[in-house]
Amino acid sequence: MILLESRNTVINDVLLDRFEKPSRMDIQFVDYDNVRFHLSTADSKTVILLSMGIQCWPDLIKYGAREHLQKEYAGLVLPPNETEPEYDVTLSIDLEKLPPTAEERSALVQKLALFKSTAMSAPFLAAFAEQAQLQSSYKEPAGAQQFELPPAESQGELKIIKYREEEAMFIQARHDRVTVIFSTVFKEETDRVYGRVFLQEFVDARRLQSLQSAPQVTYSNREPPLEIRHVPGLKNGEDWGYVTFVLFPRHFANPTQALSTIHRIQLFRDYLHYHIKCSKAYMHSRMRARVAEFLKVLNRAKPEVATAERKTASGRTFQRR
Amino acid sequence: MSNTLRPYLNAVRATLTAALTLDNFASQQVERHNKPEVEIHTSPEVLLLPLIVSRNESERVLIEPSVNSLRLSIAIKQADEIEKILCHKFTRFMMMRAEGFIILRRKPLPGYDISFLITNFHSESMLKHKLVDFIIQFMEDVDKEISEMKLSLNARARIVAESYLSTVS
Repeated sequence: MILLESRNTVINDVLLDRFEKPSRMDIQFVDYDNVRFHLSTADSKTVILLSMGIQCWPDLIKYGAREHLQKEYAGLVLPPNETEPEYDVTLSIDLEKLPPTAEERSALVQKLALFKSTAMSAPFLAAFAEQAQLQSSYKEPAGAQQFELPPAESQGELKIIKYREEEAMFIQARHDRVTVIFSTVFKEETDRVYGRVFLQEFVDARRLQSLQSAPQVTYSNREPPLEIRHVPGLKNGEDWGYVTFVLFPRHFANPTQALSTIHRIQLFRDYLHYHIKCSKAYMHSRMRARVAEFLKVLNRAKPEVATAERKTASGRTFQRR
Repeated sequence: MSNTLRPYLNAVRATLTAALTLDNFASQQVERHNKPEVEIHTSPEVLLLPLIVSRNESERVLIEPSVNSLRLSIAIKQADEIEKILCHKFTRFMMMRAEGFIILRRKPLPGYDISFLITNFHSESMLKHKLVDFIIQFMEDVDKEISEMKLSLNARARIVAESYLSTVS
């Protein structure tokens, strides 16, 4: 399994099961980036509540996450005052009002399993829309005017999503592209070194002929990139990494492509750290095997103790106790 | 095997074989104590001349013989940051299992990555030429292992990056 899935398997499996035969439940579980879920049946077996607690909810609200969820899950989103306490957003699914056909039901489950991704995709969609707007109003400046044009005019608002305690995602639209910047922290020296190797490969991979159309990736450690250098509270140090993805309009030309791009980009941080941990585990198992081999070589140096059966002169065997 | 590695290992092997002439020697300071003299350094007259076999400035072996013990410290090649990390992790991994490797020292000498301490009890209970074989094979394999680990890390990173980017494009 190289790629991570954006859908949540627990939601997927539990809902598929409950759609067949409703029963009581109270399940709490988590997803990447400290996202908490709670699946429960409050009053009756047939009304399922799915709540999500997400750290960056205040940021997401700013970029229209609630409206986006309301659009995606029409009729399911509960208003803020009915949201389950300690969670940020609640969906209520009435099993008696499910769509009739099996295909529609599984489509609904699919959509619900993407709950977190859908909430997180609001700022991306906003940025894509902003880019389209900027592009239409943008006029190719003729030579000299280019310098007079204030740069603020051709760029959208910088959207900051603090999706983890210390790490954040920055999204900015320009007239010809959308820039997504991740800040990530490597807690350990080993992670930092491995992370550098991985990020360097992300930069280099684009040289391949088959990946020419992939978004441009750059990374910098220590210093944040110029686009976000003015943001207060940015940390720079040995263990900080900044990864920039430059998305061109072709990456979000149609809604399906935009959606798949968003889902991939969201999981970038998890993907990177997941593979760093995997490599560490692999190295560890390798070392274990190698050390066992060394031990075998060393044990060869010990002379074998002859444990031949001992016999008395008359031919009877005896054992020393 | 590159052409400088062979003479380097041969030199280590010859030096080690010559130095492994250990004898039981009780402590001259404390009655009924029997300590590796190379570690306690209390009687300078039983210590022999330490010797460094060096392949280049980063790869060298220090052999310190004495009347009843021998200390061998290895500095492993570390070309870049990844190799440094891998080497550190690997030697640490081994030294944490030092009770299995009876001749391994739990801490390396400063300036070196891993140290072995062979006393007369070890050389009496184990075959001397096999002990030397072990040290030589360790030196050969540790370099190989580190460079293989580095390659596999790079290969993995490449596959990871390519498969991710190919889904986004």
